Amino acid sequence: MGVLYKGEGIAFEYRLGTQAVQALNGVDIAIEQGGFYCLAGPSGSGKTTLLNLLGLIDDMQTGRLLFDGAELAELSEAEKNRIRRFRIGFVFQTFNLFPVLRADENVAYFLHRQGLPRSEIRQRVADTLHAVGLWEHRHKRPAEMSGGQRQRIAIARALAKKPEVILGDEPTASLDQETGKGIIETLASLAGDAGVTVIISSHDPMVLTRAKSVITLRDGRIV
Amino acid sequence: MLLRLALRNLLRNVRRTVALVLTVAIGTGSLFVFHGFNNGIMNQYRDNTVHARFGYGQIQTHGYGERVYERPWEHWIEHPQALRSELLALPGVRQVFPRVEFPALLTSGRITVSGKGQGVDGPEEYKFFNTLNFVAGSNLSSEPKGIVLGIGMARGLGTGVGDPVTVLVRGARGEMNRAVLKVTGIFHTGLKEFDDSVFRIPLKVASGLLETDRVESIALGLTTAEDFPTVDDFIRTHHPELEAIPFSVLDEVYYQHSVDWLDAQFGVIQLIIVAIVVLGIFNTVSTGILERKQEIGTLRANGESRYDIMRLLGLEGLTLGVLGAVLGIALVVGLNATVLSHGILMPPAPGITRQFLVMLELTPLMAATTAALGISAALGATLVAGMRVARMGIAEALRAW
Repeated sequence: MGVLYKGEGIAFEYRLGTQAVQALNGVDIAIEQGGFYCLAGPSGSGKTTLLNLLGLIDDMQTGRLLFDGAELAELSEAEKNRIRRFRIGFVFQTFNLFPVLRADENVAYFLHRQGLPRSEIRQRVADTLHAVGLWEHRHKRPAEMSGGQRQRIAIARALAKKPEVILGDEPTASLDQETGKGIIETLASLAGDAGVTVIISSHDPMVLTRAKSVITLRDGRIV
Repeated sequence: MLLRLALRNLLRNVRRTVALVLTVAIGTGSLFVFHGFNNGIMNQYRDNTVHARFGYGQIQTHGYGERVYERPWEHWIEHPQALRSELLALPGVRQVFPRVEFPALLTSGRITVSGKGQGVDGPEEYKFFNTLNFVAGSNLSSEPKGIVLGIGMARGLGTGVGDPVTVLVRGARGEMNRAVLKVTGIFHTGLKEFDDSVFRIPLKVASGLLETDRVESIALGLTTAEDFPTVDDFIRTHHPELEAIPFSVLDEVYYQHSVDWLDAQFGVIQLIIVAIVVLGIFNTVSTGILERKQEIGTLRANGESRYDIMRLLGLEGLTLGVLGAVLGIALVVGLNATVLSHGILMPPAPGITRQFLVMLELTPLMAATTAALGISAALGATLVAGMRVARMGIAEALRAW
């Protein structure tokens, strides 16, 4: 397995009102392909900031971060869009599904935007909805589904893109224990069977025990 | 898929979308009504000016209208019959009307008033000058020794149809000539100054009184106003001693100034309506887009560029604009075909003494330009409202992340 992410001396500061907050302070990180990683740590420790940097949705400030050997700070906006579109999948705590689209349309949306042929899109939608066990619910809108079902649709949406990495920010936080366990099992099997790198942030002990590798952050540093 | 998402987004809050569509519809409809109303007024005024007073233009000797002469007939057009034949041979020239104007005294019984006489080719003129609006009697065509009076002048003289009126005119040799004519009609153009001072008599009678075969002007009956440049070119080339003056210059004070004034007014109203539409849409759309901030962050996180986001929002704005504009135009066309089919009764305009009906004169080009303005306003307001969120950092847009 090769190294997907390699970071050195990553520091990130943001402003909260008039105060400067040092979210990350000299983080070195190496993420291997196909692993199941958990970013752990208390609130404000820098988990979300690190995920944002790994997902290319915040710009690097200090330090170096390489994605598959490419220096992220040197990528153009178009190159970053392309990586996000084809190589990274996201699973959010609040699901972030499009409420106006049906479950299958939610899964298909970014595949259309990838420019895939319709037959390929249909196949991927069917495969991923079967994989998360929601094929029978494909015509439902998010508002007609439970929290666990919505999160599984979000995972299907991320998975259908066939990304190299799936990033999840507290994907079980809005779910009950049993549903959260199912979600984590789904993500873990992805990392194991499909060779997808899964990086999620969580406080959940169940997640920590299931992860192949736990990266614990405190006050913006890895401990 | 982008279009599907855009259309579904519009159905997300139906009440808000209906309000936005109505905002565009009302704005577009208002502009369309106002434009059609202005067009109706100007076309009616132009027809009135052309068919009651000046024709599509007049030919005079060069610079005649800019100076005052002691013996004006010496500066009138010579050999009008020959010129008449040349003009009638031009494409687009349907009729020509030689005319003279002269000051005169009119006497009826013991009352004498001064007036401005017009010597016209009665039978020919009334085929073209058909909007003179006779309130009593009829035109000169049936009476070689007839006279028609403006309503104000007839009241001043205390005469009616069939009464004799004596016209006293100073001839070319300086002598006062007179003719006793019979009132055949009384007209009412609505222009008080005109109705109080003008009378018309046959051109032959006027030429006899003035002791000249020359004519002061030749009014032009053309197929359309677009034929005027042909006449103008001909006169410039073949009769440099003459000039062709369009009706908009002859009636500059009323017609051209009215056109310019109404155009300026329309421009201001248009600006106000567009501003109201843009602000209305901007406020509502801004609220809707801010509510979708997290979704837009999700789109960006999955590789959509700022341009893609603007394209999505633009499609929504365009759809709103098209729906609103089509609805607005359709409502106005429907109203015009039903409630307003008989026109809008307007009070007398400045300098005019009678009410008049204005029709909304709507044209396809006007509908297209008005709809384009409404659509542009909706699109522009949506894009400006969306720009803030599209420019926002992805992490900030996601907020929960």
